[in-house]
Amino acid sequence: MTTRWSLVSACAGLSLLLASAAAAHHSQSEYDLRGKVEVEGAVTKVEWRSPHAWIYVDALNDKGEKVNWSFELPSPVTLMRRGWTRDSLKPGDRVKVTGAPAKNFPAIAIANFIRDDSGKPLFTGTTSVNETESK
Amino acid sequence: MRSRTWLRTFRSAFLLIILAAPLTADAQWLNYPTPGIPRLPNGAPNLKAPAPRTPDGKPDFSGMWFANVPSRDFCKEKDCIQEERMAREQINLGIKLKDGLPYTEWSKEQMKSRRANGGREDPHSYCMPPNFPRAWTLPQHSRVVQTPGMMVVLHEFNAAYREIYLDGRPLPVNPNPTWNGYSTGRWDGDTLVVETNGIRDDMWLDIQGSPITESGRVTERLKRVNFGLMEIEIAVNDPKAYTKPWSVTIEMALIADTQMLEEICMDNEKDTRLYRK
Repeated sequence: MTTRWSLVSACAGLSLLLASAAAAHHSQSEYDLRGKVEVEGAVTKVEWRSPHAWIYVDALNDKGEKVNWSFELPSPVTLMRRGWTRDSLKPGDRVKVTGAPAKNFPAIAIANFIRDDSGKPLFTGTTSVNETESK
Repeated sequence: MRSRTWLRTFRSAFLLIILAAPLTADAQWLNYPTPGIPRLPNGAPNLKAPAPRTPDGKPDFSGMWFANVPSRDFCKEKDCIQEERMAREQINLGIKLKDGLPYTEWSKEQMKSRRANGGREDPHSYCMPPNFPRAWTLPQHSRVVQTPGMMVVLHEFNAAYREIYLDGRPLPVNPNPTWNGYSTGRWDGDTLVVETNGIRDDMWLDIQGSPITESGRVTERLKRVNFGLMEIEIAVNDPKAYTKPWSVTIEMALIADTQMLEEICMDNEKDTRLYRK
C-alpha cells in the first residue's frame, strides 16, 4: 500500500470562507481552505447521508502507521444530481483523495478531488437540470 | 385465430414494456419528464413560453424553483467534486445595492460578532429550518404548490414547508414568532404580493449574518415573467435592524424534469463538532 499526504497551511480570510460555503450547509470555517492534503488508500466506509456524505479511507502515514481519514463530500442530494449513486464508492475501493484539512483535528478533511489508483478522476459530473437563462 | 390471439398478447406485452420503462429507468425520478409543460421541438422544456395560468386566470407559480444561477465547479482545477451553485444573495442579500443594506448600529454590532466567528453561529450550520426569504437562494430547491386559497412552498432542506394564505385573511396581531412568520398574499394584477410578519428575533437573512427581527415585516412581490423565470422583489421594513426600508430583486429559474430530494440536516450532521477547538 502506497500512502502519502502533505499539508500546506495558510490563513483563510473571511472572503474565502464565505465564498466557499457555496454548496454546503455550513461556513466551512472549520477547514483550512488554503491548505492541501493528499491521501491514497482503501475506502473503509461510506456514509451516504445528509447534510454531507462522508467517506473514510485507511492510509499509512510517514511512519508506516495506519490512519483512518475522514473526508467530507457534498450532500448526497447534490452528488445524485451530478450522477453519483450511493454505490459509486464502496468499501475496498482504492482512491486518491485531495482536499483541505480541518484546522484543529487530525485526519479530517473536506474532499475536492477523488481519483482512482491510476490518477483518473472518478466522479466528474455536473448537475444535470435545465438552468438555461430564460430571458 | 390463434395467431390473432398471439398478436394481441404480443401487443399488450409490448405496450406494457413501453409504459413501464420510464417508471423503472432510475432509482429516483431525477430525470423523469414533467408532464404537461410546454416543450421545444427537441423535447427540452420551453422556458420562454408564456407563464401558465390557473382556471381563474391568475398566474400559476406552481413548479420547482432554484435561484437563476449556473452550476459550476468550486475549484479552479478540473474534475472538482465540490459544486458552486448558489445565488450571490445567499452570501450578501444586499450585494446588488450600491450602498449595501442600511444597517442600524445594533445590526452592525450583531454582524461584527457573527462575522468574527467565521459564520459559525449561522442557524443554518446547526440544521435550523430554512427561513424565507433566505430559503429562496439556499442551495436546495423549493417547490411552489398553488391553489385558489393557499400557496404552499416546500423546501428540500429539512423537508420544510411554508404556508401563504390567499383567502383574504388579515395578518395576525402580536403573533407567536416563528422561523417563517405568517404570510398572506393578494393579487396586484399579475403580481402576487406576499406580506409576512411574526418573524423570530434572531434570524439571519444571509451567510454574512444580515439580521431580521421580530419587528420586521417582509413584502415579497412575485412575478412569473414567463414559463421558466420568476422574479421576486424582497422588501424589508425592520426599524430595529435597518435605518430605512429597502428592497432587492432576485430571479428564480423553473426546474423541470426532476424531483425534490429530501435533505434532513440532523440525519448525520458532523461539522459543528469541528468548531469546538
